[in-house]
Amino acid sequence: MNRISMNSRRAFLKQISGAAMVAGMAPSILTWARAQEQVIPFPNEDGMILRSFRFIDLESPVEYFNSFLTPVPRFFVRNHMHEPSELDAAAWRLEVGGEVEKPLTLSLAELSKLGTHSVINTLECAGNGRSLQRPQVPGIQWGKGAVGTARFSGPRLGDVLQRAGVKPTGKHVMFRGRDEVPGKVPPFIRSIPIEKALDGDTLIATHMNGSPLTKHHGFPARALVPGWIGAASCKWLTEIKVLDAEFVGNFMSPGYRFPNHPVNPGDAVKPEDTHPLTALTVKSVIAGPSDGASLKAHQIVVHGTAWAGEADIAKVEISTDGGIHWNAAKLGHDQAHYAWRLWSYDWEPVKAGDYTIQSRATDSAGRVQPATPVWNPSGYLYNAIDEVKVHVS
Amino acid sequence: MFRRGLFSRAFRWIVAISLLALTSSLLAQKAVPAGVNADLPAGPMQAKATTACLECHEARIILQQRLSKGAWTKEVDKMTKWGAVVDPADRDALIEYLSANFGPEKPPYQPQKTAASIR
Repeated sequence: MNRISMNSRRAFLKQISGAAMVAGMAPSILTWARAQEQVIPFPNEDGMILRSFRFIDLESPVEYFNSFLTPVPRFFVRNHMHEPSELDAAAWRLEVGGEVEKPLTLSLAELSKLGTHSVINTLECAGNGRSLQRPQVPGIQWGKGAVGTARFSGPRLGDVLQRAGVKPTGKHVMFRGRDEVPGKVPPFIRSIPIEKALDGDTLIATHMNGSPLTKHHGFPARALVPGWIGAASCKWLTEIKVLDAEFVGNFMSPGYRFPNHPVNPGDAVKPEDTHPLTALTVKSVIAGPSDGASLKAHQIVVHGTAWAGEADIAKVEISTDGGIHWNAAKLGHDQAHYAWRLWSYDWEPVKAGDYTIQSRATDSAGRVQPATPVWNPSGYLYNAIDEVKVHVS
Repeated sequence: MFRRGLFSRAFRWIVAISLLALTSSLLAQKAVPAGVNADLPAGPMQAKATTACLECHEARIILQQRLSKGAWTKEVDKMTKWGAVVDPADRDALIEYLSANFGPEKPPYQPQKTAASIR
């Protein structure tokens, strides 16, 4: 779309909104005009890729990955169920029970008195990149943008658990949210091991980038399990239960499990040959230039982001010759333990032509992005070397 | 002069009537913004698939899948277990409908975007 048609479309919208105001029918006319642009009105969400409207699943275009913190209206949204139809902060209570000495019921005010700790965390859906798997697998067909980075704040989960007094029998911590379950779908309940729950960076987050959580991100409180798959960080949290074993339910098994050994694409995997997903893996994504872009030679800035769950990014390398030569990208100065690193690489193509730009991250644990995707039946943790195709004139 | 006045008055009436017709047709759609709902493709199972599947989730969740018949069979059986109302007599036809419309050989799904809100 060129600038002129964009401007004339804006002008058209402006004119039609003026006419509509006069006629007293602004909302429906504006909605109609927007639908003609194949754009769906969605309050407080900014130009997100619509994977699903009901339930709400929104993906960030990769072009947004140019800031260390992702603004909330540009942060991906993943829901397994309907969002709670009613969220009353005053009536909200958090139950803490199970294998504890003293079960607790906390109001939001009581929770806020338990201290505030902040963690800058890159949150990624385990299914991010699923649409790139071959053969294709069922699930939300995420492209590359079910990931974002935000500063999450709230009391430490460990402090809340300490107040309740975890018994020696407590080995796992279960989260239940207020998602509304349709039909006979199993409720979205998962658990994490007690060690991760007691880690000083695991939070009951009430804030995101300095503001109270929005509804789509789990208002008034969510678990925040840093460095782990997004599904660990249960939204609209209402119950924390300490268990003597891992929670048994659909979203622990068969959901969110990964094969113990590599499998051939398309092969079935037995449940006993799988383990629950925990931390994210090493990955980089190219934010610019965009796939399919036509560029002028001279200096081209290739840029993007890279993350590694609980590990740190050691380096990001760029290849423009099909992976024969790799050149180090410059890592951005903003960093935090569980957060992505922005990176950039100044590229000066020597001649015009079609190029594939590839990015490959390596982390502090020595993990490197693979050249081919690690296929698995649910398409989790896609992290193959990223690439975009561009034309240089 | 007279002719021009008549023309512009008639034109205004046409605009007003079209706006009214458009508004009433939009209001008739249960106040759901236009473009929000997506439909399943036409076919003998369209109505039954709409009832069985879209009770709990919307059409886009299906439209974006590209699955083999084996994978669609597993999905239909899982969803039936989770409450989708599928008459056993319709199961095979439903799997056939989904496989025919959303198989691996179909062109990639083109998602829509939400409106821009940061200027």
